Amino acid sequence: MKVTIKSWTGVATWRWIANDENCGICRMSFESTCPECALPGDDCPLVWGVCSHCFHMHCIVKWLNLQPLNKQCPMCRQSWKFNIH
Amino acid sequence: MCDFDAVWLDVLKIFPVLGGGSPGPSQPVEEAVYENVRRHLQELGNIDTFAAILDLEIQSVIRNVLAPKFWKHFQGDSVPTDLQTCIQDQALVIEALPDKNKLFTQFIDAINELYHSFNVLMQVKPRLARLMNPEMSSGLSSAKLLHEDSIKSYLRDSLLSQLPPAFSVVVGAFYWVHFKLYTKASHLALTTVDSEVFDELLCVGCNFDVEQCCCLRLTEMVNKTNMKLFEMNLIDRLTGSALTSLIKLKIKEHINDTCQGIFDRSHLKQLEKWLADVIMTWLKSIFTDWQTKDSAKEVEVPPSVQSFKVKLTYYMYETFAQSVIGQFFSIIIDYPDSIPAIDDLKICMEKIDMRVYLTESLRSSLEARILHPGVNTMDILTGYVAAIKAIRHLDQSGVILEMVTAPIKDYLRKRSDTVRRVVTGLTEEGPTDLSEELAKGESIKDGKESGPDEFSNWENWEPDPFGIDANLMKYNNSKIMRSADIISMVVDIYGSKELFMTEYRNLMADRLLAHLDFNSEKEIRNLELLKIRFGESLLHSCEVMLKDVTDSKRINAHIHGDGNINENQMFDISSLIVSAQFWPSFNKESLQLPEEIENEFKKYTKAYEGYKGNRTLNWRTVTGRVNIVIEIGDRTMDMVVSPTLAVIIYHFQNKSEWTIEELSSITKVPASALRRRISFWQNHGLISESSPGLFTLLEKETEKSQFEEMSLAEGDDEDLESAMASASDQREEELQVFWSYIVGMLTNLDSMPIDRIHQMLKLFASHSGGVEFTQDELKHFLQRKVREHKLLFSGGVYQLAK
Repeated sequence: MKVTIKSWTGVATWRWIANDENCGICRMSFESTCPECALPGDDCPLVWGVCSHCFHMHCIVKWLNLQPLNKQCPMCRQSWKFNIH
Repeated sequence: MCDFDAVWLDVLKIFPVLGGGSPGPSQPVEEAVYENVRRHLQELGNIDTFAAILDLEIQSVIRNVLAPKFWKHFQGDSVPTDLQTCIQDQALVIEALPDKNKLFTQFIDAINELYHSFNVLMQVKPRLARLMNPEMSSGLSSAKLLHEDSIKSYLRDSLLSQLPPAFSVVVGAFYWVHFKLYTKASHLALTTVDSEVFDELLCVGCNFDVEQCCCLRLTEMVNKTNMKLFEMNLIDRLTGSALTSLIKLKIKEHINDTCQGIFDRSHLKQLEKWLADVIMTWLKSIFTDWQTKDSAKEVEVPPSVQSFKVKLTYYMYETFAQSVIGQFFSIIIDYPDSIPAIDDLKICMEKIDMRVYLTESLRSSLEARILHPGVNTMDILTGYVAAIKAIRHLDQSGVILEMVTAPIKDYLRKRSDTVRRVVTGLTEEGPTDLSEELAKGESIKDGKESGPDEFSNWENWEPDPFGIDANLMKYNNSKIMRSADIISMVVDIYGSKELFMTEYRNLMADRLLAHLDFNSEKEIRNLELLKIRFGESLLHSCEVMLKDVTDSKRINAHIHGDGNINENQMFDISSLIVSAQFWPSFNKESLQLPEEIENEFKKYTKAYEGYKGNRTLNWRTVTGRVNIVIEIGDRTMDMVVSPTLAVIIYHFQNKSEWTIEELSSITKVPASALRRRISFWQNHGLISESSPGLFTLLEKETEKSQFEEMSLAEGDDEDLESAMASASDQREEELQVFWSYIVGMLTNLDSMPIDRIHQMLKLFASHSGGVEFTQDELKHFLQRKVREHKLLFSGGVYQLAK
């Protein structure tokens, strides 16, 4: 007997490759959205800092805008720099 | 003095009544006799006393002789005794009487006899007048007999005082025959049902052969009898009640004959016409037919007939309304074809208050017809929607609706599949009531917005109907009730939109996963319609789910277009990539793919990671659709199956014999589930269980052909199994949040009864996410923990297991 698979329609869940599950600012899951957004994923992306912490982009941007002087990571207090891959 | 005996004889000649016994026909009396008697009476000096004695004597004759004799006609076997006992329902008795014609003649005979005696008695009056004529001045005022109608009223009084109970039946029978005679003509014209009567060549009126029809003679007799009754002033008293019940019976019959089961046209006009044309003219004929013949002057309709008409009209409305209400369930089912019937009922309800009767009767018929386990939920819902529409049409205020549908709601709430049915109904293809309503939704909403405030519409305001429990009105916010449309009424069964939306999400997830064709246009349309009605926030998850579908389509296209992945590709992979947070949670089934297949998926994952930076995929291997081609012997099977089935048969490719344990360990599917799946291939004649727990591939052609046809249907069955966790599983997961609270509580307080735990958790729940749960659910949860040996339960309190 020979079984040939012609095509396979599968189901998968996507997730961010991150070292944490929840955004440290809004406490929502990364796979969910920040409080401002409706659609997850592309529309509400994650960003990483050089300190390796990551947040919903909208959350951290909002946080940084609230810091008048030295922009720090809210988790480790190192000064925040975006880690561009 | 004179010879008293001679005078007495003369007196007897003038007034035979004084002789006692039945008054025979009185002979004409000569003037000399009068003269003689008058003289003697004058000598005695008391003609008044004589008149009084005469008066008493007449009374006693009427009471003791005439009335008993008259009633004697109707005693004995004329009316069966068993019928005499159930006199209350005269009409029915009349209908049930075996020999109406006999009673008819009996009645006529009796009346004739009575009339005859009456006439004899009536002669007393002119004779007495003649006797007293010369002394007008003293006599007339005191002699009661000379007063108008005194004999008539004596007759009436004593007849009525001795009225036997069965008499009205006889009268009923008499008029029954009369009515039949009277309506003969219209009968012939109107009914087609009576064709059998024609066959037997019987006259409809008198039941004799047509050639010997005696209708005319009978009518003549009836008219004479009526006249006699009228002259004796008995017609109202003696026949009134029997006549009324007979007419009521006729009305009932007529309504049953003409209106039963016909809802698509209005009957009221025609009924009113019938009442005026047939019944009223007949009634008039009873009172007037015999008059018109001998008196040319305009015949007045007696006022009693007029008041009769009002009474009968109301009775007709009432009967008709009852008949309609009795059939209201069928009317509901036939809606909108049955609108004319509802309109009729509406008119009736304006005239007579039937509300309570309507609600009671409708409630009980609904309970009997649809609210029992033999009816499936979809049909109940259909009935519910139809009832809403029909009753709306009847009563704008919605009060009746609320009262009638309350039991339906209560009942539907108890059915577990209600929500699912409603949601299916809402979204199903094809003309279901609910999906039509949903499609209408937009216009309704627009209408509401354009009519800004209800005050502008004050002229059309109607008060709440009376006769409705005031508490009920207070309890229901009537305004909400009124404006609610059908969808809201249906959703209102559960009192919460959330529940419906959760169920909708689950069903949609099932549908999307079952088809996996990335075609979500219909779903998107439905979602848009639902959003209009329920607001966006409740349907947010669904929106994300649908976006996942369209995104997946794009991602698939992108990855397929990527050159790298297409090299050495074993098979095409498409994937539905879902945002787990927004989908209902999946059940916990798992499936280990064979290595070479898994590698293909790894390639796909890589391509995805390359396309969407920083993101990766977790495959849910059990769910999906696999198109496989099986070549075995000289036969080729091309089929679409679930991944588990595909993997099972794939494993048999390299090794034709597997024990269930081996297969279970390599696929990571529990043995029991695996066995169930394997049976699919067994049915296709590819695998057989050669010895218990050992499965062998059947290479040779055995009885395969007979199984071939089942293939796709069976495959589809498998697909339909929900990939989602059941609602109760999801619920338990939600409660899991509280486990740490419970542990904390029990550590501090050692042991607690369930209601304390529930109370404390509710306190926490209000702070954390607002998860609502009942004590029952909590009990389930705690009992599971007891089974898992994490808790101890004794003496009604829970403790931590040590």
